[in-house]
Amino acid sequence: MAYDPRREDYQRLALRYAQSLPKGDPVAAAKAFTDFGRRFARDRDTLPQSDADRAFHLVAVAAEVIDYQLPFSSEAKADALIARGRDLLDEAVSLDPTCHDAIRMRASRTNPSFDAQFAFLKEGVGEVYASCQAARAAVPDDGDDERVALGRDIAMRPYRRWMAALAEEALICGRNRSSIETGERLLEQDPSDQADVRFTLALAYAKLEDQTSLDALAKRYGAIVPPRAADDAWIELARLALAHKSHDMSLARQLLERLANTYEGCASALISQTELPDGVFARLAVPPYSEDELILAVSEATVLLQEGDDKSGRGVLGSWIARTTAKLYPEALAEAQELSNPYYQREAKGHQGGDAS
Amino acid sequence: MNGREELVLRCAQRRREKIGTLSDEGFAELCLAVRENPTAFVDSPEQASFATLVGALDAFHRAGADDDLLDDDEFRAARERRLQALSAGCAQALSQDDGCLDAQLVQTLAAELNPDDRLDALLQIEAKADAATELSLGATGDAWDDVFMRPQLRLWDAIARTCLDGGRYRMALEVSQGLMAASPADRVGGRLTAALALARLEDEEGFNELDARLSGRENSWLNLGRTILLYKLGRMSAARRALRGYGELCEGAAYALLRPTFVEIYLPDRPEVPAGGFEEATFAVHEAEPIIADVPDFIGWADGFPWFHAAGESYAEANGYDW
Repeated sequence: MAYDPRREDYQRLALRYAQSLPKGDPVAAAKAFTDFGRRFARDRDTLPQSDADRAFHLVAVAAEVIDYQLPFSSEAKADALIARGRDLLDEAVSLDPTCHDAIRMRASRTNPSFDAQFAFLKEGVGEVYASCQAARAAVPDDGDDERVALGRDIAMRPYRRWMAALAEEALICGRNRSSIETGERLLEQDPSDQADVRFTLALAYAKLEDQTSLDALAKRYGAIVPPRAADDAWIELARLALAHKSHDMSLARQLLERLANTYEGCASALISQTELPDGVFARLAVPPYSEDELILAVSEATVLLQEGDDKSGRGVLGSWIARTTAKLYPEALAEAQELSNPYYQREAKGHQGGDAS
Repeated sequence: MNGREELVLRCAQRRREKIGTLSDEGFAELCLAVRENPTAFVDSPEQASFATLVGALDAFHRAGADDDLLDDDEFRAARERRLQALSAGCAQALSQDDGCLDAQLVQTLAAELNPDDRLDALLQIEAKADAATELSLGATGDAWDDVFMRPQLRLWDAIARTCLDGGRYRMALEVSQGLMAASPADRVGGRLTAALALARLEDEEGFNELDARLSGRENSWLNLGRTILLYKLGRMSAARRALRGYGELCEGAAYALLRPTFVEIYLPDRPEVPAGGFEEATFAVHEAEPIIADVPDFIGWADGFPWFHAAGESYAEANGYDW
């Protein structure tokens, strides 16, 4: 499960609201909770909340703007969205100076290079961990185990997102050992892998051509909550890359077919290989095994696909995947061509129209 | 590859085998005689084929001597023609002796295939060659000392570098290590490919072992590889020192890294260049390009040191290059 900012915003306020309710009156509590849903949607400010809750709400809105609207907006609207995202994050930090999500997201927009963001995140790990631990310790124990557990979990999430972002940034910077070290630490702290850092780890192990560690990673999928098999696009692309790297081309082909079957009907994503900006809040929350998930994984696997000396500009593995997919699934090729380069598409149609008249 | 010299050694070696026993002194005299007039000693399809290849390679380089003066499009066209002529030369050599490994190798390289297809083609050549000859390390324990083993070493070198170009770093490493085992003196340069592969795989232990084996024989590949390795491992002040080491070893090293230029494909192996010269740095950077591209902020980091930037700029100025 990836991090969904709106859901987390809701959880935070619901938790605080529940804590504010009089104890020992389940009927009143149930009634109050119907009231909560309405107030959350329409009249948020009337609900009890701390500055940290208010800041997180702004983070959730900023995440919506930057991660979910900006990539799909027209150029004309982009500047306004960027400015709005920045203002929201600035306000979040002014409300709560320890709002690590806002600090991290703001830095990713202002740091001038991957390396600068990497250094910034690495530098901050200790402080963010201590700060989240303190917030976790401060969660009041009202005797409701489930609520306490959720409160403590929410308190640690900004740290986990920080670590997941660091692992991802390290991978982009070509610092694969650092990516692995960070990812492994996070996975050890949270074996349920809320942050899905194992996806980043799979890519990093493939980068170092470490088959043994990749196999060991697949075994740890047993602890993932909610359960999920080790057949997501990230680990499958990592396996495929390793087969290609060791020049076991028939295995590479088999793995490509398996991936295309797991994500049935989505093979065009393997040809288009769209590069998306990484989510600044967290990896975008998309349904498992959806086309969107495959697109995301392929985009993150750019570090594997675009390697080597390849004249097409796609990279050696990227070209091989595109070529082989097109051969295996001609209909996916047609779909990818339809989607790519609308300009030429239009021109071609224009010519046909011209011929007919 | 010094084709002329190898042709001489080949002819002399075959003649010695015909004569039977020949002292070292006698062999040296024989070599002198062959060098005077190699053609007179070419007496088998094997040597004729090799001589054809050497002639084709010479012609390729001679014809390209003035290509620097052409504009980009003319250069591309002229180069294309030269590569076609070379390929035809290889075909001719192979018609004389279809087992001529160097001709197969050069012909494959001249086709400028993408790394996947090139690797397939080279591995096919290797599989055939493997069946035909058995590698022997000879009396000296170094396959290079047997002139008839050298094509095999060059083939492995080309396979290793093709692996590096194709993002197959562990395979590149394994092939170069095999190459170094067959030829410990490593005249072909397997250690150079190995150094870059180890850097890319962030294998510090392996890199240090290689370094120790070379016992302080610095070169651009090793120094650039070490810089990239330390940078990737996040040991930035050590990386800065390594960059300085890289920059000071070769003339124009900073320029070579900051302003990479076109480098002709190796036909069939890395050209021999004087140690510490500009060309050494140029070749090292060229071979490291896929690895450098994988560390997106590396060049910006190196360029950010005023002393490194200035070294590049002053080399450009002194030699009349664009900056």
